[in-house]
Amino acid sequence: MHALMALTRANIKSYTRDRAAVFWTLAFPLVFIVMFGLIFQGGSSNLTLAWVDDDHSAQSAELRAEFAAQPGVKLVDTTQSDGISQMQVGKVDSVIVVPAGYGASVAAITNGTPGAPAQVPVYTDPSRPNVTAQVFQVAGAVFGVVNLAGRPPVVVPVVQTVQTQNLNAISYFVPSMLGLSVMQVGIFAAIPLVADREKLILKRLAATPLRRWQLVGSNVLMRLLIAMVQAVIIVAVGSLAFGVEIVGSLLLTAGFVALGAVAFLSLGYVIASFAKTEDSANGMTSMIQFPMMFLSGAFFQIDQMPPFLQVIARLIPLTYLADALRQVMVGGAAFAPLWVCAAVLAGWLVVCFGIASRKFRWQ
Amino acid sequence: MTRPHRACHHPRMQGQPEVATDAVIHVVGLTKRYGDLVAVDGIDFDVARGEVFGLLGPNGAGKTTTVEVLEGLRVQDGGTATVLGHDVATEADLLKPRIGVSLQTAALYPKLTVTEVIDLFRSFYANPRSTEELIGALELGERRNARTSDLSGGQRQRLAVALALVNDPELIFLDEPTTGLDPAARRSLWDLVRSLKREGKSVLLTTHYMEEAEVLCDRLAIMDHGHILEMGTVDELVSKRFLERAVRFDDDPALPDEVLAALPAVASVKHDDDAVLLYTLDVAATIGALLSAAEARGVEPKNLGVRRATLEDVFLDLTGRALRD
Repeated sequence: MHALMALTRANIKSYTRDRAAVFWTLAFPLVFIVMFGLIFQGGSSNLTLAWVDDDHSAQSAELRAEFAAQPGVKLVDTTQSDGISQMQVGKVDSVIVVPAGYGASVAAITNGTPGAPAQVPVYTDPSRPNVTAQVFQVAGAVFGVVNLAGRPPVVVPVVQTVQTQNLNAISYFVPSMLGLSVMQVGIFAAIPLVADREKLILKRLAATPLRRWQLVGSNVLMRLLIAMVQAVIIVAVGSLAFGVEIVGSLLLTAGFVALGAVAFLSLGYVIASFAKTEDSANGMTSMIQFPMMFLSGAFFQIDQMPPFLQVIARLIPLTYLADALRQVMVGGAAFAPLWVCAAVLAGWLVVCFGIASRKFRWQ
Repeated sequence: MTRPHRACHHPRMQGQPEVATDAVIHVVGLTKRYGDLVAVDGIDFDVARGEVFGLLGPNGAGKTTTVEVLEGLRVQDGGTATVLGHDVATEADLLKPRIGVSLQTAALYPKLTVTEVIDLFRSFYANPRSTEELIGALELGERRNARTSDLSGGQRQRLAVALALVNDPELIFLDEPTTGLDPAARRSLWDLVRSLKREGKSVLLTTHYMEEAEVLCDRLAIMDHGHILEMGTVDELVSKRFLERAVRFDDDPALPDEVLAALPAVASVKHDDDAVLLYTLDVAATIGALLSAAEARGVEPKNLGVRRATLEDVFLDLTGRALRD
């Protein structure tokens, strides 16, 4: 046990002192998220509102004009039920309903007849606080203008909540990036392992009483630790800096990070079994990493890919890891049920570990 | 299973320790193949407790393969090897805690410091020596916090030896410990091997440096192409083949070859650059006669000396090749 921990510590020290490794596994995903986050944050200042006019009065037309005059606001005229379903799939950011009788009550209050102000339901999704705040900023500005015409206030917004299913780009991207980082932590393990073999470090260790399971165990422990650190950093930056709401279980998230890490680690061992030199391990890692990255649905949704690429996407483990993380973390639409994701990752783990345990050369 | 193996040129030296009484290494008919290549071809030797034993030979002679079988890193294809009473093929697990190993290439965790690497290796053994003690013994104190990648070749080798000593082993394997080192670093490593011997440790070292083998080894085996060609002490190896010694002095026209060849006990006269070499079986008689002959001609032999044959001459004689890389 002592040897296992000492070797794990030594591996971690070697890793943290390797700036390139730290960059690719920790800093790179972060840079990517920040870049992506900034791009989509800028873009999201445009609001698309579903406009439901059940009143058809001069006053409701006037209100519509005020909303339309707000900078960055686009209105889509529709019915209430259609507006809500559009919002649920992410096509509009909010639904504003002008109820029947709105014009009459506004006119009455403006003419000095006492009465309750007209109520205008505004549908928002509390799990998207940035967008919600923007919607109320716009609505507040508009109602402020309308209310100037009469006092007491003629109109008040009524908050209605809608749970949206579809995700904005950054919420889709953060779990993908986590999956991608976990993959890198796993398969990149091949490179230092092959380097240690090339430098005869593995041979030197073989001349000590150290057991092979301790060697493999320390490698697994260290990679799991890095994966967890990555997960914490990515989730923290995603939710604190870019308002990605983590709706699901953190424990289940950690479970999938761990399962993904060991599955990709065993794939890394397969690479280390076939790569003779550190350079060839590097090449093979990239050869596996890039197609996985682009075909896994981590960046592009799988149902938008050409059919033959979809077939490949259905085979690669990153698809299932990213999908599982997306479902668990942000409540994304399922590509495959969670148990299928877990089973596919476990399957890859078993097959790769089997190959590596037969083919890996220690010297 | 027996396999044909070439017998040594001569029967085993008399006075060599009896097999197994106090042998730390006992090798019989050891054979190792890599595909078609027979790297080690049925060798036999023993290493006595407290002895520094050398395997001397050129690269590719089979020295490293032999050592790696004895360390439990490779399994032989034939023959048996017993180290500290354990069969290396079946009891490597029992053997490893008791031996110390320094591999030919000593690159060790380039990003860790000297202390960190020593501490790591200490964690592999039940009763390790203290880090301070090892750092002191190997004179690594000034570099204790240096990363191993920043060490000089000599320092790196000393670290490799320190790691071989972590478990205070009874038997230490040093594979080419001074290859690539400058003369000062080489000498410091030689001192280290001598101090191990003083502590009563047994050492098996491989080298392709004649001088190193002569200086360090109590006994040595000369290996080539997977065979042991000769085995014994340096004196035994040299005097067995070269009974004659060479009396040398600077060439002098007053002493022509025909005069020198007629001197008592001289077997042959050779010239090596500006020196004359008189090969003789009786050094005293030859030198006395030489001095008389010179005096009679009114000259004096300059830089007079007696040279013995060296391991270099032995290797040349055994293989027809010089042992240089």
